[in-house]
Amino acid sequence: MTAPKYPTLEIDATKCTTPFDCKLCIQACPQAVFFTHAVKVERGRETDPKDPGAYILVPTYRDKCTGCMDCVEVCPVDALKITFP
Amino acid sequence: MCWVCEAYGDPEIENGRWFLNPKNHSRQMYKIKKPGQKAAAFGSDPESQSGRNIQEILATRFTEQEEFQRLVKEANAMKGDGPFQIGQVIPLKEAHRVVELSYPVAGMSCICRILTRAAEERNEHEYTCTGLGVGMLKWERWPERYKGGVNFMTADEAKDWLTKWDTKGMVHSIMTFGGSYVGGICNCDYPDCIAIRNRIDYGIETNMLKSHYVAKTNYDLCNGCGVCVQRCQFGAIKFEVTTDKTNIDQMKCFGCGLCETGCPREAIELIDRESLPGLKEAW
Repeated sequence: MTAPKYPTLEIDATKCTTPFDCKLCIQACPQAVFFTHAVKVERGRETDPKDPGAYILVPTYRDKCTGCMDCVEVCPVDALKITFP
Repeated sequence: MCWVCEAYGDPEIENGRWFLNPKNHSRQMYKIKKPGQKAAAFGSDPESQSGRNIQEILATRFTEQEEFQRLVKEANAMKGDGPFQIGQVIPLKEAHRVVELSYPVAGMSCICRILTRAAEERNEHEYTCTGLGVGMLKWERWPERYKGGVNFMTADEAKDWLTKWDTKGMVHSIMTFGGSYVGGICNCDYPDCIAIRNRIDYGIETNMLKSHYVAKTNYDLCNGCGVCVQRCQFGAIKFEVTTDKTNIDQMKCFGCGLCETGCPREAIELIDRESLPGLKEAW
């Protein structure tokens, strides 16, 4: 069928633990490919961005990724891997 | 007339504009949120079904392009009853009318910018989103995503505040939280705004409908300074070298009015979309 060829963005969650606090790749990406959101949600309480594992990074718009690798370069923990088909 | 006005407007009130119909601001609308009912109360619970449906549909584009396009087409055809919230671009003057009508009005942090750019807006100087209606009174019960609380404003303060973001270059848009309940005025830009992105990049029309206006250049007044080109978030304006003036693609124009409010020579005016036969059905 028509499975479109989009790049795969692998994010190693064991390395990237505090994306909301770090936010380097999210703000560096010219295509705004990433989403970051809390996975530990407690009603009426703010999730601590510095709490490891409280937020995750998701390549929601990876179909827009051009492969410039700015995010890979900027990542301080080397958690990102981009492969094109 | 746009289909939202047809469904939720009152022809007797404010030219039938649905977002100026007091019914769509009423407390009763907000309270309809039982499972299966129309209002999903997206604002009070961002993890609600509405958000999940959108993500599910968007996720299909990675595996099955034709299925994705079919789902989007289906969702567009369902209009306000579909999985997508209704959103519509409005110019500054109509945004001012909305804050006159609604109570309470409060500044809050923008959920899209938190998600897409990890932008933290922690005080009234940084907030970019306007929450409207009774949902704002329950802000302490929201989950963590809306950081920093809210800043309640009078109608006049809210107008100044909307003008501030207009000057900076943000598009105003009405956002509904379930059915036609008017829950807020967002100040949006591309690519941070998920709704604009859904519309422009993925063809999800309901999420961000065009406004009731389109921009038109007065070529006698335009001197080609290019301010409007910078301000257009929809890529509808180009600087035309041949004429040394601005060129607005009215097919792409969303009628947000940023070019009009930014033009130093008042060379751009907003004209009624429905006065143009070629555009009156383009929402």
